[in-house]
Amino acid sequence: MKVENHILEILQLYEYAMAIGKSLNYKESCDSFLKLILKRKSLNAAWILEPHNNVLKSTYALPFGKDIKSNNQEVLEKLNKIQNNSIVETTDLMSSIAPISISTGKTIVFNLNNHGFLFLYSRKDNITSKDLNQLSPVIQKFAVHLKACRAFKEQEQLLHNLEVQNQELSDYAHMVSHDLKSPLRSIDALTSWLKEDYGELLNDTGKNQINTIRSSVEKMDTLINGILEYSTIGKTSVEIFDVDLNLLIDEILIMIQIPKNIDIEKSILPVVKGDKYRLQQLFQNLISNSIAYNDKEKGKIEIGVEDKDQFWEFYVKDNGKGIEEKYFEKIFKTFQKLENNQKSTGIGLSVVKKIVDLYGGDIWLTSELGKGTSFNFTLKKEPNGTA
Amino acid sequence: MLVTSTNYDEIVKKILNHVKQNAALITIGEHTEIDIGHLIDELNKTEIKFMGGLFPKVIHGNSILDKGIVVNTLNNMESMFLIKNISSKEYSIPKVSFEDNVDYSILTYVDGLTSNISNYLSELYENYGMQTNYFGGGAGSLSLEQKPCVFCNEGIFMDAAVFGVLRMTSKIGVRHGWKKVEGPFIITKAQGNVIKEINWRNPFEVYKEVVEAHSGKTFNDENFFDIAKGYPFGIIKDGAECIVRDPLMVNENKELVCVGELEENTLVDILNGNEESLVAAAEEAALDSVNQATQPKKAIIIDCISRILFLENNFDKELNAITSTLKNQFSNISVGGALTIGEISSYGEGFLEFYNKTVVVGLFE
Repeated sequence: MKVENHILEILQLYEYAMAIGKSLNYKESCDSFLKLILKRKSLNAAWILEPHNNVLKSTYALPFGKDIKSNNQEVLEKLNKIQNNSIVETTDLMSSIAPISISTGKTIVFNLNNHGFLFLYSRKDNITSKDLNQLSPVIQKFAVHLKACRAFKEQEQLLHNLEVQNQELSDYAHMVSHDLKSPLRSIDALTSWLKEDYGELLNDTGKNQINTIRSSVEKMDTLINGILEYSTIGKTSVEIFDVDLNLLIDEILIMIQIPKNIDIEKSILPVVKGDKYRLQQLFQNLISNSIAYNDKEKGKIEIGVEDKDQFWEFYVKDNGKGIEEKYFEKIFKTFQKLENNQKSTGIGLSVVKKIVDLYGGDIWLTSELGKGTSFNFTLKKEPNGTA
Repeated sequence: MLVTSTNYDEIVKKILNHVKQNAALITIGEHTEIDIGHLIDELNKTEIKFMGGLFPKVIHGNSILDKGIVVNTLNNMESMFLIKNISSKEYSIPKVSFEDNVDYSILTYVDGLTSNISNYLSELYENYGMQTNYFGGGAGSLSLEQKPCVFCNEGIFMDAAVFGVLRMTSKIGVRHGWKKVEGPFIITKAQGNVIKEINWRNPFEVYKEVVEAHSGKTFNDENFFDIAKGYPFGIIKDGAECIVRDPLMVNENKELVCVGELEENTLVDILNGNEESLVAAAEEAALDSVNQATQPKKAIIIDCISRILFLENNFDKELNAITSTLKNQFSNISVGGALTIGEISSYGEGFLEFYNKTVVVGLFE
């Protein structure tokens, strides 16, 4: 008989313990565990009080009852003395921190690892030290889980704030870019008319200055387009298609006009799943960079791939100027340029990194000054549906 | 009061005469030859407030009837509510103001064949807690086909519940009389009212081993319920009578389909009863309520339909045991009620539970 009772007690603990951790939502977790305890032990109520700046506040109550907010120091002191757990009689003091009206019965108070107190109330006095000893280990587990629930909620809040801030930043970049484009178009039109209508009245210095204005406007326009592109990557859902990278690279090479001194070697590339426009941006930026920063009489660019099971690993390798190691991370940040190149906006590699990130891949480079650079990046074979 | 007429004018007249200015609890046997919708329309032509349900059988005095309307007066009705969408849990429980030092009772009828009844009861307790007693049962057809079965002034509904908040003292006795054969077992996998695993094994295999050994009978394709009606599960409670769950059938995956939900990791015993234990339990339930009451005006009996399926002709003994216990103490008390699909009460005023194969006796003062 004694053994049977022990087995039953252990199985009851199993049942209680299995009701913990079913959710990371604070209320759902309390519901799942505390309703079970109330049913199985024929208890009347359960509630949790947590101290915040010396004020005890109710964070859960079953049944609901009134909200508790107590700064009674006597209560706090008494509760703080309860290191583990204790059975207490219903007194005025206890009634004052109960969400429901209680005048008789007993309450077990559990210290939730210094993160508050759990109260289990019985109107009929059917709480014994046996219950207290049996429940203590599971309540400890419950306390740890509640801590996880609080941390999860904080993390969710943090993520939500980040999402909101990201969205605001993106909206801001989009809005500013659009607003900047309007005066830019006016300057472009006005300088064009100035050149056409008053070209003959201007001397060479004047003509040069107008050309400088128009070139700066063009650069500004490229920069704004870059910002716009950057801020829209990953914001829109698109259909994912099979993209033949051999055809895509051929189209890019026609589009960007390869200087005669540059020789391009392309391996056979795979058909990948993705958005053609983004993949074009990705490769075009890398190839353009390799061309722009090539100082050799006979430039060479190699484009290739390796199959890495879940990923494709691509590379765009050149024999150009090379990059110092201290700049390996900096170059992927927005508006970072290694030299004052008028044609560079400092946004191309940021766009490249963002697209690679979006496809669940990674990008890195190896380089030797004077000898060249290899940009390697991976793309997931089964990407998600945003681009 | 029992109404056996099928004439709507007569029924309405009798109900009005019986309850006068009060609200009415209308308990109807499922084979009563009336159109409930029409009766509701006729009642709504008067100013009466009413709630009720359709049940497999009704109880009036010492009689069990397939047909007939049992009417109880609901004195001091504070408010009455209809809750829809019990199965989808898409509802909220209305706020009620309870005065201090006043006894309240909530009477509820719920569609006994819908799912998530436990959640409905849990919501009631969360909102009203210990401020009231709870009493009621599951309505529906013995055919186990779900159809509209609970009603009030707003109409007749399925997948719904009606409840009334009464400023009234009630004393409740709850017993079942089923005793442990073997256990504990762990329901290691369950979904709603289907037990999918017991002790990490096929549930029917485990159940069959215990029941066949105890009963000396063998399960075949056709006799599951005949044997199983005497071997329910009991959800183990600490220091109190277990909560009974009734296995109804074995599905195609050899899983056990029960009346009422079971949660995963619940500890259960397999139970068995006999005529003596069941009748004795019914008498004890009556006695529990009688011992607490002082001046009850009426008794409402909520008795599980599966007890009559188990006791068959001997069910009279159970009803007699209850009524004689009540009449011995309170000779003028009116007795009515229903044979239900699930029973509702707060065991010892604690958390609200949904029972099977149980008898609940409520005395209202």
